Amino acid sequence: METKKLNKITALWIVAILVLFILSIILGIIMRLNQGELIKIQPPTFYADMTTHGVTMIGIWFVAGMAAVNYFMERYVKTSYTANMFAMVMTVIGVVMLWLSTLVGNFHAGWTFLYPLPFKIMWSTWATPLFLWSIGVFGIGWFVWTISLMAAMLKKYSMSQVLAWQHFGKKDPEVSTPPFVLISMISLIGVLTCLIAAVILLILLFAEYYSGGTFKNDALLIKNLTYFFGHTIANEMLYLGLAVIYELFPEVSGRPKLKTTWYVALAWNLTLFFVLAAFFHHLYMDFVQPEGLQIIGQLASYLASLPSSGVTVFSIIVVVFRNKINWSLTNSLFFIGIVGWVVGGVGAVIDATISNNFILHNTLWVPAHFHTYNAMGNVLFSLGFFHWFSKYATNHSLPDKYSFVKLAILIIGGVGFLLAFYIAGADSVPRRYSTYPKGLESAKTLAAVGGVFAIVYLTGILSFFVNISKRCLNVLFQRS
Amino acid sequence: MQQSLLSLFLILSGIIILVFILVYLSSIQSQPQQGMKNPLQKRFWFITIMVVVLGMFFFITIPKSPYYLYANEQPARIVHTVSSQFVFLMSNQDIDPAQPMGENIELNTNELVEFRVTSLDVTHGFGIYNDKYELVAQTQAMPGYVNKLRWKFSEPGKYYILCLEYCGSGHQVMKSFFNVK
Ligand code: HEM
Ligand SMILES: [Cu+2]
Repeated sequence: METKKLNKITALWIVAILVLFILSIILGIIMRLNQGELIKIQPPTFYADMTTHGVTMIGIWFVAGMAAVNYFMERYVKTSYTANMFAMVMTVIGVVMLWLSTLVGNFHAGWTFLYPLPFKIMWSTWATPLFLWSIGVFGIGWFVWTISLMAAMLKKYSMSQVLAWQHFGKKDPEVSTPPFVLISMISLIGVLTCLIAAVILLILLFAEYYSGGTFKNDALLIKNLTYFFGHTIANEMLYLGLAVIYELFPEVSGRPKLKTTWYVALAWNLTLFFVLAAFFHHLYMDFVQPEGLQIIGQLASYLASLPSSGVTVFSIIVVVFRNKINWSLTNSLFFIGIVGWVVGGVGAVIDATISNNFILHNTLWVPAHFHTYNAMGNVLFSLGFFHWFSKYATNHSLPDKYSFVKLAILIIGGVGFLLAFYIAGADSVPRRYSTYPKGLESAKTLAAVGGVFAIVYLTGILSFFVNISKRCLNVLFQRS
Repeated sequence: MQQSLLSLFLILSGIIILVFILVYLSSIQSQPQQGMKNPLQKRFWFITIMVVVLGMFFFITIPKSPYYLYANEQPARIVHTVSSQFVFLMSNQDIDPAQPMGENIELNTNELVEFRVTSLDVTHGFGIYNDKYELVAQTQAMPGYVNKLRWKFSEPGKYYILCLEYCGSGHQVMKSFFNVK
């Protein structure tokens, strides 16, 4: 697509994502303050808030990764404006349907809407189908976008080239696959797989819903499908962010472009499989699940950490170590985001160990680690891109002001918010409780402290939002 | 146990953050581009160490998985547990789903108990907390399935059951207890 169109649609994504992000953080703060009993909302309101927060956050950081990948993909292949726009329209419609179902209809089955909870109606009856259809609308929009990006890549590269197989055993093959293309393809295959799982999941749920009680689903099968979809999409969106880092980090740092080598190719090809099998760790506490799958779950979760740390993180370290780097806000965000991603990964691996999961599963340890690689990982990856894009597209070359202060606020707020989750998790505090029962002594205080730090984090985000969105609006309303 | 996991996490995170700070500092000391010597070799060693450490963890922890707890012993007690929005019922007898009834449960220390856990409506979580509100064991309560959790209580006292799977607007009040003599 033309550069001007690409810039406009990317700017529109960025503004929409940031606005929804701020609203969702506010929902998050409301939850934490309610758990800390500094404010009081009714449990159904709390859980509707939680459901909105969860789905919106997953949705926006997924499309943030997609929008960034689409933007850079245009450097290598021709991508489709129509598909990008279609995804935008479907995402907006989906968000409206979602928020209507939760905030008006009071649907509150959680972002994983674990069967059969959506059918035990404790809210307006229309809210259940509306919620499920909102997921369907997201799914259709993102499916088309994913397919269109893959097709664009496959027009230029063959399937084996896009997966960089020619790099195995050869030092300098004739066609070299850029790491960005390789990682994007690996992630998009994962995205496609989990969207297909989502479609099957929705078909099964609708079959029961519209069958009038003649068709009943199997709870264990649906739980497997739910987490195959939920876990995978939450992971692939991080990999989309990493593709962008491979592309942009060396560029803004004044270092040579990263190249695909045999070990980069191998690592990412393996990642595809490890990530797809890791979701089994969500079912460790279902003792009826076949034991072999439980062990595969722990093995895949461990293995998934090897290529990420040994190849991706190590490559970033090699770029930076004892090399002069043009540090700017963009690559600082990337660098700090990598730290958040790795630290969250450590929390995840601890929890993905079956014998630990026995005492950590569904405690606040879980939101602790996934918020680490989201709020302090993926968000920073995307923010780095947003910031860079907003300057690049407006030919803005002035140095960034107050970078240090902005980053410090974000880090202090983020670390405090997360530590409150981790400590509560280690204190056995359950996740998804609107308020805490008496005996859980530390829970209430930690929630209040976490809420206050989250406000600090929000302040940091607002400071980024102002500049980025101002420049993005300029891009949007530019005439020529 | 949870506290030692938290310590492990904090120590590892501290090391990671330190490494990144050192890498960052190495990049701002104004010297010509030196780079890392022999990065491929270092990468190889790093991955090898990771594989060894994770491999050790894997083989040590897998046998401790709850599926294998007391697998070769005969349970002295069977506790049938039925959950529904938003109560847990426990009984020494089989519970009839048509007329679910629970009773007070008293267990002895160090006897092997098997909890047979299921649900009548949505998925719940059966989390056993000791009287200091530390989570000691759990399994899921899923409709259509019975999860068997085996456990020996070494400490006498009151134990609480909290719901550990989100089950709707009363999730946070879903609670029960039993005693261990
Ligand atoms: C500072 C910003 C944020 C705050 C204050 C916040 C707060 C919260 C709180 C309080 C919960 C409920 C925890 C519980 O189970 O008791 C939650 C859940 C969740 N958050 Fe966040 N969060 C933030 C950022 C994010 C980000 C960036 C993501 C990105 C993916 C995210 C995704 C989720 C998800 C998926 C859930 C689970 C919802 C559910 O259980 O259904 N959050 N958040
Ligand atoms: Cu519950």
